[in-house]
Amino acid sequence: MSKISNCREKTVFSGANANDSGYLVSHMIVMDFKPLDDILEMLDSFEKIVLFGDSGCAQMCDVGGILQLEDMDDFLTGHGKKVLGYIFVEGGMCDANALKQEIDANMEMIEEADAFLIQACGVGTQAVTELLPEKEAFPAVDSKFLGVMPERYHHDERCSMCGECVLHLTGGICPISRCAKGLLNGPCGGSMDGMCERDPDTECAWQLIYDRLKKLDKLDNIKKIWEMKDWSLARGPRSIVHEET
Amino acid sequence: MIVLLVNLEENRTLVETRLKSLLERGEFVVTGEVGPPHGANHQLVIERTHLVMDYCDAINITDNVRGIPTMSSMTCAHYVLETGAEPVMQMSARDRNRILFESELYGAYAMGVRNILFMTGDHTLLGSHPQTKMVYDLDSIQALGLASHLMRGTDLAGDELEGTPDYYLGATFNPYADPLEMHVWRVEKKRDAGAQFFQTQAIYDTSRLKEFMKGIRSYNVKVLAGIIPLKGPKMAAFMNRRIPGIKISEEFIERLEKAGAGLKGPEKRSSVRGEGIRIAKETIEAVKKIPGVNGVHIMGVGWEESIPELVKGTGLHPRPK
Repeated sequence: MSKISNCREKTVFSGANANDSGYLVSHMIVMDFKPLDDILEMLDSFEKIVLFGDSGCAQMCDVGGILQLEDMDDFLTGHGKKVLGYIFVEGGMCDANALKQEIDANMEMIEEADAFLIQACGVGTQAVTELLPEKEAFPAVDSKFLGVMPERYHHDERCSMCGECVLHLTGGICPISRCAKGLLNGPCGGSMDGMCERDPDTECAWQLIYDRLKKLDKLDNIKKIWEMKDWSLARGPRSIVHEET
Repeated sequence: MIVLLVNLEENRTLVETRLKSLLERGEFVVTGEVGPPHGANHQLVIERTHLVMDYCDAINITDNVRGIPTMSSMTCAHYVLETGAEPVMQMSARDRNRILFESELYGAYAMGVRNILFMTGDHTLLGSHPQTKMVYDLDSIQALGLASHLMRGTDLAGDELEGTPDYYLGATFNPYADPLEMHVWRVEKKRDAGAQFFQTQAIYDTSRLKEFMKGIRSYNVKVLAGIIPLKGPKMAAFMNRRIPGIKISEEFIERLEKAGAGLKGPEKRSSVRGEGIRIAKETIEAVKKIPGVNGVHIMGVGWEESIPELVKGTGLHPRPK
């Protein structure tokens, strides 16, 4: 993705979540572009394309902001496609009502399109599929993980959506997402000098948890045996209906 | 949530294995390790068992170490039994969910396997199948708790078992792993979940093991110190780099290099391996003196021939009946 990558490095973030200093720490679904050849292959038999992005996770990950929609437009146009335009949702494409409003407002373009390319997470692609089932929506990105952005272009995984949060017991550090094995009863034998056995750049989550609980004087939390986890809570498809307040 | 009804007293097994009885009568125990074949030839299990069985009280069967697929530990344990030796079947939490743990624990017992050793299992990125979906439904402590649970006659759903198994349960620890205090607690957790014997990661520098043993002194568990003889400086460097939880000092690596200096071919090989055996013998002699160490666990890692040499060379042969 050289062309788009080049542009990404030049872009300046001006999203809603940036603070005064321009530095931001945000949690989001972290995405990355699929290889460009894969995108062209998906769109092989389609000519007229509409691109989708949003100002939420997609923009913050530099895959589906206006700048990346423009880059994709240039790229696809350069490869013989006709990009009819963009649907850009303020907020997130996961807000089906907001998405529908944008689609309704652009119905002429939608009707002319052969296919849709979604520069947002898998939720976005499926939301478009559900709203516009007569045509195919294709993913331009791979959804990677739920993470934090400590600095621009840098994302670290922080949550596995396991369905049953234990952060109150682990000093705010998640053993499910940050231990490479998701262990609940302390570090494995591969934890050395604070680092994980998997690779020399990954910190051992259990060393972090131990150090933090020691500071908080809460080591008792991890001295006892933790029961087997109910992984049924971590498996989809899951739905939640909150009561209106 | 399923509660592990852990009760130390209840967990004391009735089963008598040779490993258990030798440890309980205070013998200095020797276990050895047989690597399962990287394929379907069970004769190799029998051959490797024959190589080491007169020198070991029980034989460990590893379980897809580093995520490199080898013949199943249950199948190999069966062939160890058939050859006339006593197996310690290793079970890693990496490749099994709780359903397969239960299923294999029933099967292993039915085939006569009594010593079971639980481990977390190495991360698959360290092995030959890095694209694998790892399981880790349970950790090693929860897996021990599961085995203890089955020994009380019901499965995790509370349904009565058609035949209650009885095991001598073991676990591992790595004295070099960090943070040390947490690993000491993990030994206690493992004991509380049912582990009665422990085999350690390979020991080279014994000072950290001494410190660790002080930490677990009150736990009343049996400990077999892990020994891996080094074939040469390259193996040592590889292990430091690729085997989780191993720390081999520069001093040992230099000794191995020195032993091969100026030599070539078979002469070099034999001199370097001789030094590797010498280092392993020194380590065995050193761990014998550490209070609380009840034996050694020798892992040949493809060099099973080293096991008889080490056992004879440290006065541990013949083995008690």
